Amino acid sequence: MKIHYKDILRFIDEKPSIDDLSNKLFQLGHEHEIEGEVFDMEFTPNRGDCLSVYGLARDLNVFYDVNNLIDIYEEDIEELELDFINKSEADCPNISFLKIEVEDQILEYKDYLSSYFLNLKIKKNNFFTDISNYISYELGQPTHCFDEDRINGQLVFDKKDLNEAFTTLMNSEIELEGENCIFSVNEEVISLAGLMGGKSTSCSELTKIALIECAYFKPESIIGKSVKYNLQSDAAHKFERGVDPSCHEKVLRRFIKIVQDHVKIKNIKLVKFENKEFKPKQIEIDLDKINNILGTSIDDDSYKDNLKKLGFKYESKIKVPSYRSDISNQNDLAEEIARIIGYNNIPNSSINIPKSSQSLVEQKDDKLRHYLIENGFSEVINFPFVGNKENNSISVDNPLDSNKKYLRTNLEDSLIENLLYNERRQKDSIKLFEFSNVYSSDVSRNVVKVGIIASGHMGHDYANFSKKIDHKYINNLFKALFKDNEFKCSLISRERLNTKIKNKIYYIEFNIEDLKDNLDIEIDNSLILNKFIKYKPISEFPASNRDFSFLVSNFSNIEKIFRLFKNMNDEHLKDSFMFDFYKNEKSNELKIGYRMIFQSNTKTLSDNEIEKSVSKILQPILAINGISIPGME
Amino acid sequence: MSSFDDIQSPEIITNIGSKHPINQMKDFLLDLLSGFGFQEVHGPEIESEEFNFDMLNIKKSHPARQMHDTFYIQDKSKVLRTHTSPVQIRSMLNAKPPMAFTSAGKVYRKDDDATHLPMFHQVEGIYVDENVNFSHLKDLIHKLIHSIFGKDVDIRFRPSYFPFTEPSAEVDILSEEGKWLEILGCGIVNPIVLENCNIDSRKYSGLAFGLGVERIAMLKYGVNDIREFYKSNLDFLTQFK
Repeated sequence: MKIHYKDILRFIDEKPSIDDLSNKLFQLGHEHEIEGEVFDMEFTPNRGDCLSVYGLARDLNVFYDVNNLIDIYEEDIEELELDFINKSEADCPNISFLKIEVEDQILEYKDYLSSYFLNLKIKKNNFFTDISNYISYELGQPTHCFDEDRINGQLVFDKKDLNEAFTTLMNSEIELEGENCIFSVNEEVISLAGLMGGKSTSCSELTKIALIECAYFKPESIIGKSVKYNLQSDAAHKFERGVDPSCHEKVLRRFIKIVQDHVKIKNIKLVKFENKEFKPKQIEIDLDKINNILGTSIDDDSYKDNLKKLGFKYESKIKVPSYRSDISNQNDLAEEIARIIGYNNIPNSSINIPKSSQSLVEQKDDKLRHYLIENGFSEVINFPFVGNKENNSISVDNPLDSNKKYLRTNLEDSLIENLLYNERRQKDSIKLFEFSNVYSSDVSRNVVKVGIIASGHMGHDYANFSKKIDHKYINNLFKALFKDNEFKCSLISRERLNTKIKNKIYYIEFNIEDLKDNLDIEIDNSLILNKFIKYKPISEFPASNRDFSFLVSNFSNIEKIFRLFKNMNDEHLKDSFMFDFYKNEKSNELKIGYRMIFQSNTKTLSDNEIEKSVSKILQPILAINGISIPGME
Repeated sequence: MSSFDDIQSPEIITNIGSKHPINQMKDFLLDLLSGFGFQEVHGPEIESEEFNFDMLNIKKSHPARQMHDTFYIQDKSKVLRTHTSPVQIRSMLNAKPPMAFTSAGKVYRKDDDATHLPMFHQVEGIYVDENVNFSHLKDLIHKLIHSIFGKDVDIRFRPSYFPFTEPSAEVDILSEEGKWLEILGCGIVNPIVLENCNIDSRKYSGLAFGLGVERIAMLKYGVNDIREFYKSNLDFLTQFK
């Protein structure tokens, strides 16, 4: 909610600076950003009472001398005879109506009203609706203005099951469905209560007689409707968070005053339908409890003084003001006191919590995870939402994406997607695993699965690069981990995967219980300790590989050659590794295969750019006597 | 001078894999809390509304219970847990104070943008005993944050609102750029929640806190886009080994 600095100052005589106000608002728990002189407030959902200039100023009374100067109409008002029936008092216990008739056309708004629209960049509608919007901003109570001439029959408030079209005063067509709180005349819906009025009875610049509805709707009766119908509604935002049930007369008298400031009033009448008397909540005075909750030693006088500043009455019990629907027990009062003291001013005191031990199952998880990492597998985490429906799939009632409305029953599809994603990024040795819950229609079963997928080269070292992952590799790696040395490994067909790569894909999925209870795996903490590296952004541009086969016939500089290989460096060189090392006993020559991988973070590298980098890297290596690349001039 | 026969095969440098950075961070936080005396407890990801909301004093009118915030399944009979707090509720029902639990894992909310995902990870802690108060909570949170971000980091507590704690706070740290960054939520356990778990709130009180693992990981690792964690890109994952 946007609130202008000058509007807050109207209630505070000391005129604090924007920075001072900002600090105090943070202390009170009112997050905000400042744009020029406008505070963009983000109130917590329990503080509906702060959703107005006056409400916010009222909370600031603990720091400043806040005045209550709201100019209202003070004269007696004749009672309105209104043909109205409230058929759902449970949803709307209190409601009031003001009928107001004006004589003239309104030519110009007074400063306070025009600056509201100007400063907060709010679009004007018509005189009565503009006042309604202003009052909601100033006092926090939404009102709705009907054009009285367009209401021809008994006005009814009800909660009804509906299935019909409705046109809002903003001219948007919505399809009403399910239970809705509505106002109707002759069975026609004319307003969605607490949300938005209808076009058929809305005010216009020509309206001379307006019927102003001012109600207390229960939050649970309104909640969710604005999202359901995709309507931006300030009124719904306020009703959902709770408005003051005892403010109607003040609000409507303020309404009259603003009308009176602008135009001659011909006639006003008011009626209140109060089915529930709101008695203030009362809480026992228990300062010891407050100090026990906070760990403080606040004295009686400051406790009393602080609560009074927030509008509480301190008598034989503490009486909670009608606008504070969020306060009902000692912990709530403790928070009020903590806000005033300032959370950061409450002292710290240490506690000792007795130590606990870990369970065996977790150690088994940790051991397997460690074993996989040690053998070159990287862990992934996938979302559970999938498009494929299995026999026992659970469907999400309200999916984020209707193409992914089921919860996965296995990890296979996700891991295949992960593999293909990495193959598209030129990865030729892919080993991934995931630990995750899977979900079936028997929700009482909490099943954690492990999925392992592998394809491509066994590794990037010269001993393994020439070998592709196969059944033997998988068996050697995993067989000994399983009970009775038995596990199932599937070969995933590439036919359905839309890929030209031919490497075989191996997949294993199992429950952690399938593993032997005493896994013979030593955990090397240096492998899994969190090192908090600073991550380097990933390039989305393609990588290019260059393979070179070096022939070494003079070994006097072999150490230097190895050192140069190890320290290869270039701005475009992303990775390099020795994929072949062969001692030819017959020819007394050494053959070394080296792969360089080039990639830029900002562009696709051209052949020319890669060749330049290659030349720069090779130049010191090839300058050594006795090393060459056969076939290269 | 080396001869052909002297040449040793170079050391084979096998590529190790990597533990997912989110699990690294989650386990780091759990280890830290275990050192403070907390015991990890586990629970289901599919929850009833009773445990996910009612027992935690999240009333039917709370925005979090709406279809636009929570994933419902099986004709609204269950939810994908929106936090790991129900795990603590289940554990509290089966224990007697003093008790100190952590719960960690995946949680689900109906969000999807550059800073929010429909699935993310939480680590939460709760400690219930006699005379636990807000000054204890502050001390514990200071120790926790100092262990994660270093002893020199500036910490700020702000009042906030969670239905299951009262008073509630959000805690910020001051970044090197001079900006306050929200790190965690915490508070004194609402006595209603204790009573829901058959714990006498006149005798016992508790402190509770919750951290978003991705949030901490993004700050510690310098990752700007939360979605990077879930692309399963080996170029990303293998940086964390």
